[in-house]
Amino acid sequence: MNRKFEWKSDFLEVFEKARKENKAVLLDFYNPG
Amino acid sequence: MDAVTYPDEIVADYIDDTFIPLRISSDTQPYADDFNVKWTPRIIILDPTGAVHQSNVGFFPPEEFIPSLEIGLAKVDFNQDCLEECRQHLNRILASHPQSFSAPEAVYLKGVVKYKMIGDAKFLKEAYYQLQERYPASEWARRAWPYRLL
Repeated sequence: MNRKFEWKSDFLEVFEKARKENKAVLLDFYNPG
Repeated sequence: MDAVTYPDEIVADYIDDTFIPLRISSDTQPYADDFNVKWTPRIIILDPTGAVHQSNVGFFPPEEFIPSLEIGLAKVDFNQDCLEECRQHLNRILASHPQSFSAPEAVYLKGVVKYKMIGDAKFLKEAYYQLQERYPASEWARRAWPYRLL
């Protein structure tokens, strides 16, 4: 679906990475359908 | 979002360069309750400590999504008193997306940032006049209304 970015689903992993790279987190709650 | 916005190459590049993307189902607990998720898509921008700086509900087309994300980053910096970095985000919105829904908010916030950086209320008044001239129907023109009296 996406060419260059990959969604992650692990909160702890994401925020650890965000702190390490000093980046903001984009959190998308999607409809499971 | 999946059909139009996220597959857009410019959006994908922007997210990849700028954010750590996190996606979870709206029925995933405890997060759905923690973030009070009642409708989707629900798109939230957080800083690395987990503090929320922007939260939106609903679809964004690509041409609106990027400036929306950029103003979210501006708010991250504004709320952390990184005013020069905030100003740079706002300038990018106004230079690259002047017709977007985020542009009037960028004018407003830029006036506030310049006021906080320099301490001169003329920047708030300037923001009011810029909003009246360029975005008179926007809610931000109304929110800046008291600044005309400064």
